[in-house]
Amino acid sequence: MADLTYASATELARLIASKQVSPVEVVRAHLDRITSLDGSLKSFITVAADAAMAAAREAEAAVAGGRPLGPLHGVPLGLKDLYDTAGIPTTGGSKILAQRVPTADATVVRRLREAGMIVLGKLNMVEFAYGPEGRNPHYGHARNPWDVATHRMAGGSSSGSGVAVAAGLVPVALGSDTGGSIRIPCSLCGLTGIKPTYGRVSRAGVLPLSWSMDHVGPMTRNAADTALVLGAMAGYDAADPTTSVLPVPDYMAALTGDLRGVRVGLLRSFFLDGAATDVRAAVETAARALEKAGAVVDEVALPGVRHVAAGALAVVATEAMTYHAAWLRTRRGDYDPDVSTRLMAGAFVTGVHYVRGQQARALMRREVDDALARRDVLLAPATPITAPGIDERQTTLGDGPSDIRSALIRLTRPFNFSGHPACSLPCGFSSDGLPIGMQLVGRPFDEATVLRVADAYQRVTDWHARRPVLA
Amino acid sequence: MSQPIDLAALRASARLAGFDWSDAELEAIRPIVEASLRVLSGLEQLPLADVEPTTQYRML
Repeated sequence: MADLTYASATELARLIASKQVSPVEVVRAHLDRITSLDGSLKSFITVAADAAMAAAREAEAAVAGGRPLGPLHGVPLGLKDLYDTAGIPTTGGSKILAQRVPTADATVVRRLREAGMIVLGKLNMVEFAYGPEGRNPHYGHARNPWDVATHRMAGGSSSGSGVAVAAGLVPVALGSDTGGSIRIPCSLCGLTGIKPTYGRVSRAGVLPLSWSMDHVGPMTRNAADTALVLGAMAGYDAADPTTSVLPVPDYMAALTGDLRGVRVGLLRSFFLDGAATDVRAAVETAARALEKAGAVVDEVALPGVRHVAAGALAVVATEAMTYHAAWLRTRRGDYDPDVSTRLMAGAFVTGVHYVRGQQARALMRREVDDALARRDVLLAPATPITAPGIDERQTTLGDGPSDIRSALIRLTRPFNFSGHPACSLPCGFSSDGLPIGMQLVGRPFDEATVLRVADAYQRVTDWHARRPVLA
Repeated sequence: MSQPIDLAALRASARLAGFDWSDAELEAIRPIVEASLRVLSGLEQLPLADVEPTTQYRML
């Protein structure tokens, strides 16, 4: 096997199960790459090397002993540092929780370990997941691997997850997504990842930003890996009362490569029209590629999307303030000032604002449902821009100037607000060599169709297979 | 529609909410509070009179 560190999770699981490579070799190769590259990439907060090697040796013994293996046996995993991990610090990217060591794993961490995955460590993130740029003054700003000359944003808040997967430090990472925090780093780092339907995956043991907007999901390098990992994570969990009792389908079985008759609604107004020229062109080309592969593409609009910013602000600011209120009374100085000022502003959002936001949310959900009544998926850019420089603050979108933060979450946040599943995947590169991401949005709990379309697209394109050039 | 907020109003609101933040801290967050309230005022333009707020997130 030439390069274990850029093998897919699906391929690694197959090679391990067939005894062509050992989990020890796989884990060691990834740990070596972390040692070699992460000093400058800053994607990890904690590397759990000893525990990972011990788990790898156990996994190797299981293979040798002919024991039953999980679908992801021996495959390395990185976790955004807001997933509780027994015995490993879980900081939320903060100074406040720097010494916090959970005694139990989050539900999805436990499920992925049971599926055979080996946790290599905890990944950098925006403090308490409150921001889309990927900056973190406590642990360093994770560096987008697609530009070695300029320090560019990885996207956030799951910044370390995006960098680690793109740089071949892990084949799979978990992120969380409250306004786009899985899909934004996927878009900026050239990855495939899914924000599942609200209620599809347990949030138990995951530090919250906004309980009703938070979603957790995998970030990988292709749709098949995303499907494999999602299948191992999803499903009802008594520890998270918002999880659905609906059975989890076989997402891998859904990857037929067949797009004939699939109805795709291209979101032009606000979504495509708001994107930078090269992003717009790449997504339009992707729509044509889907059409050529047998899909039926038309255009559709979500007029209410312009009110999402206000509605989501009311909900997120209030819920985040509620979680942080005690620390904002006693430990303000320990926050990144950029995070604490926005959290503090939540104290001035009223109860009426919050309920109005929830009313707006009902409208938005209905609107997305209506758009999907006669379509299988919606297609839009994931972010309207490619990765900005780490200190950039302003940009120009297709419909005018915008601050970077608003621009990054503009196209992803509507589907946190509505709760629909949305997958980000690469669909091109800008003239300066930076990845461009698109998103596919599906009906509630129909991740299978979203992943089927993403996988079929990746069978006829190779954007997802390109790799950054690293030292 | 949203009016500029002076420091006294900000201080009083913060204290009602249980926060004893200093005047310097309140001045630092005043621009973002004003900007947030401007954005939130947009919610009043929506036809929400007959819309039940979302209270149940488990979609199925």
